[in-house]
Amino acid sequence: MLPAGPRRSRALRDEARLAYAILAPSLLVVLFLVAYPFVSAIYLSLQDKMVGSPGRFVGLENYGELFRDEVFLRTAWNSVVYTVVAVGIKFVVGLTMALVLDQERRWNNLFRTLLFVPWAVPVVIVSLNWRWIYDDLSGFLNNFLITFHITRDIVSWLSNPHLAMGCVIAVVVWAGTPFYAMSFLAGLQAIPKELYEAAEVDGASVLQQFSFITVPRLKTIFVTTVMLSTIWTATNLQFVLILTKGGPASRTEIFPHLAYQIALGARRLGMGAAISLVFFPVLAILIVLLTRRLLRQGEE
Amino acid sequence: MRSVTRTRRVLKWTGNVLLVVFLVWTLVPFYWMLVTSLKKDKEIYGFEATLVPRQPNLDAYRRLFAQTPFVKYLVNSTIIAVSTTAASLVLGCLGAYALARLRFPGRRLIARGLIFSYLVPPALLFIPLFTVMSTLNLIDTRHGLTLVYLSFTLPFCTWLLLGYFRSVPLELEEAALVDGCSRMSALVRIILPISLPALAVVAFFSFTQAWNEFLYANVFVNSVDVRTITTGLTLFVVEDVFFWGPMMGAACLATIPPVLIYLIFQRWVVKGLTLGAVKG
Amino acid sequence: MERTVTRRQVLKAAGVTAAAVTSPWWMVKSSHAQRAKKLVFWHLPNFTPLADELQKQQVYEFAKSAGLKDTDVEYSTVAGEQAMAKLTAGIEAGNPPDVIRLYESNVQFYAAGGHLLDLHDLVQRMRREPKGIFESSLTAVMYKGRAMGAPLAVNPWPVHARLDLLEQARLEYPKTWDEFIETSKKIQSPPRLFAFGMCLGLVEDTTDNVMNLLWCYGGKMVQADNKTVVMSSPENVAGMKVIEAMFKTHKIIPPGAISWDNSGNNKAYQSKQAAFIMNPTSVYAYLDGNDKDLQKVTGLFPVPAGPKGTVNQIDTWSYAAFKKTPYPELAKGLIDYLMQPANYDKIIQSTGGRWVPVYKRLFDSPFWKEKPAFKHFIQMAETGVPVSYAGAPTPAAGEVLNTHLIPKMVQRVLVDNWEPAKALDECHKRIADVYARYEKA
Repeated sequence: MLPAGPRRSRALRDEARLAYAILAPSLLVVLFLVAYPFVSAIYLSLQDKMVGSPGRFVGLENYGELFRDEVFLRTAWNSVVYTVVAVGIKFVVGLTMALVLDQERRWNNLFRTLLFVPWAVPVVIVSLNWRWIYDDLSGFLNNFLITFHITRDIVSWLSNPHLAMGCVIAVVVWAGTPFYAMSFLAGLQAIPKELYEAAEVDGASVLQQFSFITVPRLKTIFVTTVMLSTIWTATNLQFVLILTKGGPASRTEIFPHLAYQIALGARRLGMGAAISLVFFPVLAILIVLLTRRLLRQGEE
Repeated sequence: MRSVTRTRRVLKWTGNVLLVVFLVWTLVPFYWMLVTSLKKDKEIYGFEATLVPRQPNLDAYRRLFAQTPFVKYLVNSTIIAVSTTAASLVLGCLGAYALARLRFPGRRLIARGLIFSYLVPPALLFIPLFTVMSTLNLIDTRHGLTLVYLSFTLPFCTWLLLGYFRSVPLELEEAALVDGCSRMSALVRIILPISLPALAVVAFFSFTQAWNEFLYANVFVNSVDVRTITTGLTLFVVEDVFFWGPMMGAACLATIPPVLIYLIFQRWVVKGLTLGAVKG
Repeated sequence: MERTVTRRQVLKAAGVTAAAVTSPWWMVKSSHAQRAKKLVFWHLPNFTPLADELQKQQVYEFAKSAGLKDTDVEYSTVAGEQAMAKLTAGIEAGNPPDVIRLYESNVQFYAAGGHLLDLHDLVQRMRREPKGIFESSLTAVMYKGRAMGAPLAVNPWPVHARLDLLEQARLEYPKTWDEFIETSKKIQSPPRLFAFGMCLGLVEDTTDNVMNLLWCYGGKMVQADNKTVVMSSPENVAGMKVIEAMFKTHKIIPPGAISWDNSGNNKAYQSKQAAFIMNPTSVYAYLDGNDKDLQKVTGLFPVPAGPKGTVNQIDTWSYAAFKKTPYPELAKGLIDYLMQPANYDKIIQSTGGRWVPVYKRLFDSPFWKEKPAFKHFIQMAETGVPVSYAGAPTPAAGEVLNTHLIPKMVQRVLVDNWEPAKALDECHKRIADVYARYEKA
């Protein structure tokens, strides 16, 4: 496509210049608003910086204070449980939903749209609404259970230390499952029906068809979706912020929420940065793997 | 073969049952949201709370529009979401084109950098970003918030379009280039028209992500004039008294634009997810 | 044939790049330019639209009298909690407002950072008014012997009580906490109605409610020297045992209070699910506009007495001016104008009882005298103490409040079932760490 000889190098150079020019705005945005803050977060976590005052370099002292704090272990445990359970449930329910929606029936499009809607709603609205649903005396849940005589007393959903985490996870699942369902559905629909027909002719059972045709073809989507969702779930603080504020008695305290509280409540920006970064090494592995995988896919 | 048919029938019934379960599970919260916005105050609180409104009325909505800056929030959200979408489309197309078709040193690094930056969670960045935004005086501005939203919509859109552009056969462009077309016109006249589905997906995702965003909007915008819906809702707490009726009314209204846009772009969204995630 | 890039394309791309690269600079420049020319006032909503309007008018009136045009004034409305976040951003950028209203310990926090203008003379003028001011309001604004803010409202936290329920049971408002528990058991009918809507969530109201009770048992958080933390004390243990009994044994507090936010107790009272709550008069003011029937049967009382008597809480809001202002004299002048008793009184009365005037003389007006509910206010305003009692609202106290150390302690007892002494010990250590950190700084 390019001319041969000396004009080739000039053409290449022009091409490069055009590319840089085109990409410049995007790169600037990413540089200023992602790369620089990212590096700066690391540096900030090594400082004792209060709002409105200059920072003082303290090395790893913030991390030291964090690890010595009893709250740290509890938060770490909660963060892991929260992420793993939420992602796990979303996966199972999402896959089930996708399989159901893949079946042939009338008005499937309508059902798809309806089931997708939770993902289109702002998380903060979802959280406020569910907070109201869980309300002791005015909430839907208790009203429903009592009206239909399923329970006699009201249940303090968000005040009960044994129920609180489950309640939060339920909301996370409600809001996040559509993403899984839609991704998996897209994958399911890309599988040619002929494969199933051929397998059936060969005498394969439904389960065998699922295991040997469906699952292998969905593996890429599974991995991608789960990785993306893990990153998003682990770092989302909105649900906890609005539903429980980390309570009762730290039962639902997770790292992103703790960081937010410390940074904005205690006005300790350095410490807040340290808390957000503590989880990062685990996420970083996921992010690097996912970056490579997403790019590789595109390069086919 | 017969057992397969029987299994399939069982599965079909199970599927329908599950569908009903999923629909109920998904729609009940919306019902509650809607119904709360239609109740009188007394019916909302305490043991007076009802499952079906006794006296449905639009008081909450009236209060919402008359007594709160809800319309302003709506306008702000719209302006920011639309600007973010427009910028994401333009810059995303250009960027994806460069990465897909042009040769230049650092191409792989830039692509990788873009994806990586998309995956770095906002919850990690907002603290130092706060200082950056303050120093650049971008706090409490619509353009500031738009820029910050670009930091996550742009990489995602670029990546999505990159995947799509790569799959467009080179021959189409080559023919045009041979005829003397410039690269830019090749992009606009040849690639974009075939890419409409991908563009639709990009537009949908950018709009929805910008519309629904909470953390940055909360930390970087404080004055009522610039507030968006997501954070404005939390302001329906006047000092320490909640207004659940109007708040749920606002919630209902705020849900409409993304859902509408999804309805319009529905076909392409699923396809887009296919493009993005199924390759290989 | 030419398949290379045209000059025009390169120039266009270069233009875009240049714009993108230089845009942050001109954005900064343009905002800085704007900043230099205006008097900036950040308004936190005063709870009634009328009060908000009046304040706005007064700010513009002052501007006019000082020879400024309307366009020279920037009047921003920022909701309460967001105001602090916005202020943080402003300070980090070197761009705070000129005048703003600050809550309690925030005055000392920013004074300690060297951000505020000295308002000592202004406050002295206030004190020289006939009958003076409620001196209890000064704890919030004094920093190293100088007043760094002008106290604008002194807000007691009375007990809102359902007089009709008391009448029905033929009981008087309880004088002691023991009586309170007995009375509560008689007038409540759970789960529809719990007697005591004590806030127990991980929010500020919990710290306020809990400390208020502990004081009546002789306990406190820190000594008057603002250094010696005394959270671990037999008095606090005694008080916590009472709270524990109220929740677990007597069951006069709704179990859902554990996940309440600051509006939880308001809502409970307003929807008739609680008979007693401890809260500033925002509830009373709300009823004034929304439920006159309930307001008629609402009494406002001091907190019941414990073995060590009755101690009531007050909290203070103050005007402050930032040193960074290009117009220090105007900023101070604005605060002075807003605090002129005539101007000030108009706003106070239009808040429907939400703010208690800092000038004692204004309390003599019919607005206050004619409402039996406000009977005890003057005494509560005189003798009230801040939540950091016996210390002042210092930055350390502010952090303790903002990070909910005391609510966490309470939840240790009520949710994790710890012994009060053990929970208090843990809390003591954390609070001491906070105070130590501020000592060092």
